[in-house]
Amino acid sequence: MKLLLVEDNERVARFVCKGLSEAGHTVDHADNGRDGMFHAVSEPYDAIVMDRMLPGGIDGLAIIEALRQQGNRVPILVLSALDGVDDRILGLKRGGDDYLVKPFAFGELLARLDALLRRSHSHTLETTLALGDLSVDLLAHKVTRAGTSIALQPREFKLLEYLLRHANQIVTRTMLLENVWDYHFDPQTNVIDVHISKLRQKIDAPFTTQLLRTVRNAGYMLTDRQ
Amino acid sequence: MNRRRFAARVKLPTFSARTIAVGYGVVSLLVLAMFAGPLWYAWHTNIEQVRTELLRSDTQRLENLFTRSGEAALANAIDSQVVGTNDGVRKIMLLTSPDGKRIAGNLPAWPQGLPDRDGLCSSTIHVDGSARRIEAMRVTLPGGYRLLVASNLNRFDELERLFVYGLLACALTVLVGAVLGGVLIRRALLERVQGISQTTAAIIEGKLSRRLAEPHDGDELRLLTHTVNRMLDQIEQLVTGVQDVSNAIAHDLRTPLSELRARLEEVAITRPDLDETYAEIDAAIGDIDRVMSIFQALLRLAEIDSGSRRTGFVEVDLARLGDDVAEFYLPVAELKEIALTFEAGAGLNVVGDPVLIAQALSNLVENALKYAPEGGAITVTARREGERLALSVADNGPGIAEDERPKVVERFYRVDGSRGTPGVGLGLSVVSAVARLHGGTLTLAENAPGLRATLVLPVHAMAAHGTVEMDGRPPAV
Repeated sequence: MKLLLVEDNERVARFVCKGLSEAGHTVDHADNGRDGMFHAVSEPYDAIVMDRMLPGGIDGLAIIEALRQQGNRVPILVLSALDGVDDRILGLKRGGDDYLVKPFAFGELLARLDALLRRSHSHTLETTLALGDLSVDLLAHKVTRAGTSIALQPREFKLLEYLLRHANQIVTRTMLLENVWDYHFDPQTNVIDVHISKLRQKIDAPFTTQLLRTVRNAGYMLTDRQ
Repeated sequence: MNRRRFAARVKLPTFSARTIAVGYGVVSLLVLAMFAGPLWYAWHTNIEQVRTELLRSDTQRLENLFTRSGEAALANAIDSQVVGTNDGVRKIMLLTSPDGKRIAGNLPAWPQGLPDRDGLCSSTIHVDGSARRIEAMRVTLPGGYRLLVASNLNRFDELERLFVYGLLACALTVLVGAVLGGVLIRRALLERVQGISQTTAAIIEGKLSRRLAEPHDGDELRLLTHTVNRMLDQIEQLVTGVQDVSNAIAHDLRTPLSELRARLEEVAITRPDLDETYAEIDAAIGDIDRVMSIFQALLRLAEIDSGSRRTGFVEVDLARLGDDVAEFYLPVAELKEIALTFEAGAGLNVVGDPVLIAQALSNLVENALKYAPEGGAITVTARREGERLALSVADNGPGIAEDERPKVVERFYRVDGSRGTPGVGLGLSVVSAVARLHGGTLTLAENAPGLRATLVLPVHAMAAHGTVEMDGRPPAV
């Protein structure tokens, strides 16, 4: 995937570029708003990682707004040191697709970026999701694995649906918290892990292959790859 | 803080009090003028009219007499009216023959300075060397006789003088009254303002616990002092909060930061093998995350306390919100074999910030989960009590001693013995701040055994904010 990183902090930029390249992406980097704007309008990118506060007379949100006004639908992940809930809402309202607060773990950035890239590639409204022998009927709210029907609580169903939509991708605890429960705070307990292990009990425990895996220091991944 | 500069004596705002006194006098005088002006005008014009009328009727009467009975009768009548009266003081009459000689009247001769025509005129004549202002009526009678009937205007001067003196006396009385009243008003005002000013000066000098004296009778200043006192409560709490935070930051942030420093320094000095270095780096990242989570909680608190979130208030269904939070923590409770139940009443809609209320309730539930014993019970209830909604979380853990309860909502305060457990000691502070933002309270009570934490929110958070009910002080316990 071809990505654009607009970030003025040299060390952060170098770290992110390196990480994204290692993850198999091609990354262009702009260290100020003017160059960022120029790159974003003149080249087609699969996604943009945009710092909010930038030198060069034009800040990140202004660039996003300008792009959206031109009809550019490229997925944009906003990076920001501003952590207020209102800041987050503003960032999304101006046309950002996701919002990540600095300092961030690189795993979190990569996971969210993958989720954005995936979202932009699957526009179809699916009624069934499947991975390996696991399949979920979104309309009938039915889950089956290897022909066996599995009963899930509504929230467990939502959790599984989210994991399936991001199959073969790392999803972080924060992503689950925000997207499955719509909570925007950090629980002090390992409540997400407990929900995952409960789900695992139902969809994995009775079967030989484990689909729901824990990715150390990052989050979880639902995958049928070895 | 630059205390010396603020310690300079605060100058009292005497100007406005003086303005009130002067204004009081000016208004009084204006009122007097409004009374006296029309009175003076009416009096003056009325007298003039009566005088002129009298002149006309007198003249008419004499003229008729002359026409009916002739010169001698007229002369008699005139003399009987004016001769012997005090020489032209009130009424002046004169009848002259066609050759200009005096026949009757109280003037020696036809006076100088009168216009040479019949009719009404005003003029000044000289009688016995003294000037008299007169209003005169001249008539030429058949046969060339001339009749002059005049009234002496000088005699009205005395009346006018009396009137003016009366007015001046009135004005003086009013002025003295006004000045006195003004001075009294000013003194009363200054006394009140001085009290406020002195207290405020003391507060500026750092005595933050001082409060304005609230008068018992419900006058206008009571409302003001009450509001100011509430503001001072809030300021004191914030300032104390800042001091507490500084102390707490010194402790709670210093600890992970010194661990981090020690860890990195050790790696730099001892240069361990790669595996150990990586492990140390992971641990260092963990330290940083701990510091960050403290920062994040503090920033969230600051954001809540600033009140800016109030703009995003929407209708929130607490039954649904409570159910979601309880469901969210249910697996954790099951793991500890704690029975977590949620009970909801009816009519549980409130105007507020759903994200923050969910966070507050989560913090309470997490607290309960932390302290409830294995096999224990946690009950989350949402119910309506009149115009207030109560979200409460009750556990059967060790509870909190009564004297510790006010302290646990302070930033970073942690009950002794809980330092080992995860958490940064900001959970209840956040709940308390959320309550304040909505104009509600957080109360901690005995659950015998255990703790019952109740978040009370007014149904209409916006309306409740700013009323006397809202208490800026730490939650009552």
